[in-house]
Amino acid sequence: MKKTGLIMVIVTGILLIAGTTEFPDWADPNSPASSHVSPYYILKAIDDTAVPNVVSAVLADYRGYDTMFETAVIFAAGLACFFLLRQFNRKRAKTKMYRHVPTGIIIDIDEGGKLPEENSNFERIDSQWTPYDLIIKTTCRIIIPFIQVFALYVIIHGHHSPGGGFQGGVILGATIILFAISHDLRTTIKRLSEKMASVFSSMGVFLFAATGMLCLLLGSVYLDYSALSDLLGTDPVMARSHGILIIEIGVGLSVMAVMIWLYYNLSSAGKHNEGL
Amino acid sequence: MSEQFPALLITVPLISAFFITALGWRSAKPAYPIALLALASALFSSMGLFGEVLKHGKVSYRLGGWPPPFGIEYAVDALNAFVLVVISFVALINLIAAKRKVDGSFSGKSPAFYALYVMFVSGLLGITVTGDVFNLYVLLEITALTGYALIGMGDKHAPLAGFNYLIMGTIGASFYLLGVGYLYLATGSLNMGNLSEIIPTIQSKQTIIFAFIFCLLGLFIKMALFPLHNWLPNAYSYSPPAASGLIAPLTTKVMIYVMIRLVYSVFTPAFSFGHPILPTVFIWLAIIAIVMGSLLALAQKNLLKILSYIIVAEVGYMVGGFWLGNSDGMTGAILHIANDALMTLCLFLVAGNFIFVLKNDRLESFKGLIHKMPLTMAAFIIGALSIIGVPPTCGFFSKWYLIKGGIEAGQYGFVAALLFSSLVNVILFFKIIEITYFEPETKDGHSLHHHVAIPREEAPLSMLIPLAITTLLLIGVGLYSKEIVTGIIQHVLPTI
Repeated sequence: MKKTGLIMVIVTGILLIAGTTEFPDWADPNSPASSHVSPYYILKAIDDTAVPNVVSAVLADYRGYDTMFETAVIFAAGLACFFLLRQFNRKRAKTKMYRHVPTGIIIDIDEGGKLPEENSNFERIDSQWTPYDLIIKTTCRIIIPFIQVFALYVIIHGHHSPGGGFQGGVILGATIILFAISHDLRTTIKRLSEKMASVFSSMGVFLFAATGMLCLLLGSVYLDYSALSDLLGTDPVMARSHGILIIEIGVGLSVMAVMIWLYYNLSSAGKHNEGL
Repeated sequence: MSEQFPALLITVPLISAFFITALGWRSAKPAYPIALLALASALFSSMGLFGEVLKHGKVSYRLGGWPPPFGIEYAVDALNAFVLVVISFVALINLIAAKRKVDGSFSGKSPAFYALYVMFVSGLLGITVTGDVFNLYVLLEITALTGYALIGMGDKHAPLAGFNYLIMGTIGASFYLLGVGYLYLATGSLNMGNLSEIIPTIQSKQTIIFAFIFCLLGLFIKMALFPLHNWLPNAYSYSPPAASGLIAPLTTKVMIYVMIRLVYSVFTPAFSFGHPILPTVFIWLAIIAIVMGSLLALAQKNLLKILSYIIVAEVGYMVGGFWLGNSDGMTGAILHIANDALMTLCLFLVAGNFIFVLKNDRLESFKGLIHKMPLTMAAFIIGALSIIGVPPTCGFFSKWYLIKGGIEAGQYGFVAALLFSSLVNVILFFKIIEITYFEPETKDGHSLHHHVAIPREEAPLSMLIPLAITTLLLIGVGLYSKEIVTGIIQHVLPTI
């Protein structure tokens, strides 16, 4: 079996290489890929959409419909993971473990016992060996807000520089995941519940799809942002630029929330305990 | 309103998925009605679009207002519109029947099931309606991803089956994407109409041939053409019945549609059928698929496994019929997309009813079913006759065109394979029907010697009504297949 697999991989590889013999040269300005539709985007993007970053213009406007479905794919990934992994009705452990943070002493509390108060020095843990690292926790607390501000910049500045909703959303989501890794999953879920993550992820794509729908209801075709010009009080070209910003925000929101949602379910196998 | 049908068709189910997910955290109750409304609206839009296309010809919709090839275009002709109606109909009927199967399963996650369900349908509709080869890939992804999740929630074998499907499906999608990449490299365009204008003008065709092979290879994996079918039987038989009734009738058929679309509207028939060897190779692959699918179906002991292997054989029917390259073969292949979707839906609904009552689908537990579930059995017999190809059920007519096409093209191997598969289907289904006439064994393992009335234990009405509609349609489509062929399919076929 392994040998047949190897033979097939080699044959496919040879075919792939054989297929490249007639490819145009590297960076050939006359190759079909750079002479058919690309010149139009490069010449017209700024006049059509008032967005200096051609990549953003193609991604969010000329081919914005693809991007909507890419966002929907990400949403579907989060939903699929939730659907497959999440366990709502599992048996809860009879005893709960708490650690007294200053001394590191672990106590077991039986069912019905008195639980420590919310902001006391006790923290809930699931296994005896749960490292506690003050330096990591404090460092992460300090850098997380800066990363988040940078993420917002990446989302907003997608018009002018590399960036946009996907990249910014991933960075935002990563900050929450960083918080979850440095602290534990329970603390994170207390701050940003699974419900919030799920609702945000559907809201983000909804913002995208609803913007398209609004264009349609205003008498144009789906995702034609220029129809929003009256609503936004700008000319149609500027309206496209604003439309792109709106959907970038939607993408950012959705991607962030899905990253978090995926992490919640993957890191705890759908149990939502202390996580990794 | 009517000019917006192409956009509404896809986006209404998509948007409903977000509502279902968000509202699902409050209560699981609104999920089902929202999904039902969304799919009903999709059916309405696709019927409207179909009427439009029949009246005025091709419909083109520019998303974002950009003209092709710069933006994404939806290009609807009679072929898409026909497949769209089939998809939205099958999805709606199966959703109605799925209600009772979903209730109580998935432990509180039924809103997620419905959300994935509508997203799966909107992906399939999008694949069918689009006129852009890359947009097709994106929608292929959404369909695949939701499909893996729906399959993975079945019985205890389902996660592994879903995982196998995930690996194979991803390989298939990658090949397709590679083909699209090669196409873009050679032409600089992604729009189907634009591609079909450029491809005939390209002098050296090697890159195009590779693109063609990669795209088709990807689709063959996705449609489970033998020997690339390994993922299918387990994925379809272990998935939850509510999902298999959606996925099994539609996925392979939509992939066949994509193959037809690529050959007609991207690579052009002159190029595709002009190749000296490839069409013959495809016909022989199809012949092997039909023979092997039928033989493997004979070896199975579970109803869903049998049905899954029949799907493998039926894929061979359509691929072979299409690559015959004459008008009868293609008519048969296109007609069979609709017929096979309906027949498979009918039989999977029947299997769903059996599983709902019996809790399993092993053939030996079917004893006495004819008395226990007479209505479901009646539907099963009609569905079986249609798969076998007995007039006036619809299966007969598409098989008739396929055989006629095979004789005309001189492909007697294909004709023989079709007849062989019909014969195997006769054996298969009569074996099952015979079992249902047996009396069930009593608890101590001996069969009863005197007749005792077996209590009737039918599936609930919400599962019987969709089944009845499907079964009647099997006969209805059969009776009107001449009108379908002259009214719809003749418009689609190009002159080669």
